[in-house]
Amino acid sequence: MIEVLAHNLAPIIFASLVIFLLIGYPVAFSLAANGLVFFVIAVWLAPYSNGEITLDWPLLGTMPQRLWGILSNETLLAIPFFTFMGIILERSGMAEDLLDTIGQLFGPIRGGLAFAVILVGALLAATTGVVAASVIAMGLISLPIMLRYGYDRRTATGVIAASGTLAQIIPPSLVLIILADQLGRSVGDMYTGAIIPGLILTGMYMGYVCMIAIFQPHRVPALPIEARTLGGGVTSLFVMLILIGFFGFLSEVSALMDRTAVQLTVLEPVAAALSRFDEEVSLLFGGGVNADVWRLSAAVVAAYVIAVADRYLRINLLSRLTQQVIIVLIPPLSLIFLVLGTIFIGLATPTEGGAMGAVGAMILAFAKGRFRFPVLQSALVATTRLSAFVMFVLIGARMFSLTFYGVNGHVWVEELLTGVPGGQYGFLLVVNLIIFVLGFFIDFFEIAFILVPLLIAPAQNLGIDLIWLGVIIGVNLQTSFLTPPFGFALFYLRSVAAKVPYLDKLTGKKMDGIRTSEIYKGAIPFIIVQVSMIFIVVFFPQIVMHYKGPVVDPNSIEIIVPSLVPLAPGGAEGAPAGVPGLPGAPTLGAPNLGGTTNPPPSGGTAPGGLPQLGAPPVITP
Amino acid sequence: MQALLALSRGIDRVTEFVGKSVIWAILLAVLVSAANAISRKFFNVSSNAWLELQWYLFGISFMGAAAYTLQVNEHIRIDVFYGSRSRRTQHWIDLLGHIFFLMPFVILMSWYLWSYTLQAYWSGQISTNAGGLLIWPARAMLLAGFILLVLQGLSEIIKKIDIMRGLMEDPHPFQSAQEQALKEVEELAAEVAAANALARNTEVKR
Repeated sequence: MIEVLAHNLAPIIFASLVIFLLIGYPVAFSLAANGLVFFVIAVWLAPYSNGEITLDWPLLGTMPQRLWGILSNETLLAIPFFTFMGIILERSGMAEDLLDTIGQLFGPIRGGLAFAVILVGALLAATTGVVAASVIAMGLISLPIMLRYGYDRRTATGVIAASGTLAQIIPPSLVLIILADQLGRSVGDMYTGAIIPGLILTGMYMGYVCMIAIFQPHRVPALPIEARTLGGGVTSLFVMLILIGFFGFLSEVSALMDRTAVQLTVLEPVAAALSRFDEEVSLLFGGGVNADVWRLSAAVVAAYVIAVADRYLRINLLSRLTQQVIIVLIPPLSLIFLVLGTIFIGLATPTEGGAMGAVGAMILAFAKGRFRFPVLQSALVATTRLSAFVMFVLIGARMFSLTFYGVNGHVWVEELLTGVPGGQYGFLLVVNLIIFVLGFFIDFFEIAFILVPLLIAPAQNLGIDLIWLGVIIGVNLQTSFLTPPFGFALFYLRSVAAKVPYLDKLTGKKMDGIRTSEIYKGAIPFIIVQVSMIFIVVFFPQIVMHYKGPVVDPNSIEIIVPSLVPLAPGGAEGAPAGVPGLPGAPTLGAPNLGGTTNPPPSGGTAPGGLPQLGAPPVITP
Repeated sequence: MQALLALSRGIDRVTEFVGKSVIWAILLAVLVSAANAISRKFFNVSSNAWLELQWYLFGISFMGAAAYTLQVNEHIRIDVFYGSRSRRTQHWIDLLGHIFFLMPFVILMSWYLWSYTLQAYWSGQISTNAGGLLIWPARAMLLAGFILLVLQGLSEIIKKIDIMRGLMEDPHPFQSAQEQALKEVEELAAEVAAANALARNTEVKR
């Protein structure tokens, strides 16, 4: 009897974990208690288990070391940073401005308000990792407008709830940070892998609205003339866009001109002039790869300055719509570049990007006059609260995993999941079904901390790339925010949408309240879009796998190791500053030892982790 | 009983003070991290001490806030079952949870962390990274966080018994996720309304 118990401890632990969690005591401590109780039982059963259970009392003493591991994890710092950034932006009224302006921009076309909501949802998603903010803002601002001008209620609510969940999959999302950490991959890779699926998903939402606009136009009418408060004037917006594009991508434009000039000789002088201009401008920005980035930034800043000057000096060269669009859109876009751009090109680690984004958000809020002491304080309180409970769920999960791995639970899960018929696809199907169902009841934090680490070994056995798996899980977890009855995006929308009939302020017409069933039904088409997105990521892994960069043939790499030239004592001439120490170079002076070190950006995709010994090895393709 | 309640109030005051103070550590961590990133990129100056300081600060905030989060009943729960029970059943779950789930774990961790911290303190251990910080303050932080949790657990048990005997009101009754979302929405809606009013005023002035 005891032997049977000892052999089947892993399934027993797992089953009782489910019960422990469902009782409803805080997850962090239920997890820890489950781990602790079964640790005691397992140690007692160990002699009867034929060595399957590898737990003994001293092992419990390694818990402080595990806690230390959680504390000193630099990746997890990104969680408070991006949360803080998101909350500050949420309080800065950015969402409101964006919705107003982009709504006016797209309003005149059919389905325009819905497009605006999706676009703003994606933009907000790229600045924060929090769902609440965008759903609430859109529910408060866009929903009444959509209803006022005759949008179908289900379409309106569905679009808003779905766009809000984009924050979960478009970087810098908290889900992706936690998934990357739990899967043992870099957050930067996870972000790079998730960006294209995130954009495709945004596109699919828009495609759905587009279909409605074509086939059932009465469900998504255009804004009537009297509602277009900013007036028309799209021409000047196009002119500005073309100018930004021209200056921002001058090199590319010039190269294109050169190519066309070969055929159309008339254009030759123009092409030549353009090349000269391009060279001069490039020189101005220091040349090199970074010059492109600097030039584009300069073009964007110039557009912003022009729009502001145009408005406040009352020159009114641009239409009011153009002014407004440029003034409202450029600051958040710059912030997105500051954060995501620097992470993607490997300039900053995700943690650093989060910190700079948080500072940028504070500056933005300050510039808008919305950065007051209570705002800062409440943002910090909310961030600390979230950090405390997330980190303690992680602490509890470590206690649990100590026991669970000690009884070879991971082997049990591995055998269970590797044994699924159908290889990779069978595994992915089962895992996704489990996560989809769990997503109805429990938060993504628990799924990520308990379940995801257990998937690593079976996934690797089946040759599944972990970033790919992470993105699939990310899309799946995003869906859980949208599924009735517990989907959070639906909660948030429910709580801001009017429950009882109300009088529209502008038209004075009596409007019906939104029924909960309408919100649920509105979400269904978008859930279908989500689920098809999971399949797309599964069957077209290349939309994720590009994070690895171009494939390098290992045979074609030739590594030339430079001969070590003895350095003059105390001198470091010719050697890059800050070399952490040269093994086997006894003449190295003391000052270099223990000098400042530059940690390689862990988020970068480049193999920046190569230790620099003397001169870096030259790699020739 | 009065003495116990007084003890509980004292504990609550301490954890509240700590929990509300440590929020500033997050702001500091943000600033340190941003400054470090900028100086690393532009002046090529960086040090492990600054890098480590970031997670020391983050550690201060989440370890310091854990006990206060428990006090205001905001540690995350799965409320599918719990949320639909009567108040009395919820009290029982909480009380038994405090005694059998929370306390053994936090007491045990405090016990282990005590020697773990002392060992680092006596040996004056320094982080293995070049230019790293002293290790014992960070370990002491872990220890302090768990000791606060032990104290808060005690206070919660005292309060829970009194609440169940009808001697006091529940200061932080359980809120379901829906209710919390609603609270958050109301706060935000008020802010949006205030901002709109402000915008309208400025428009009028113009």
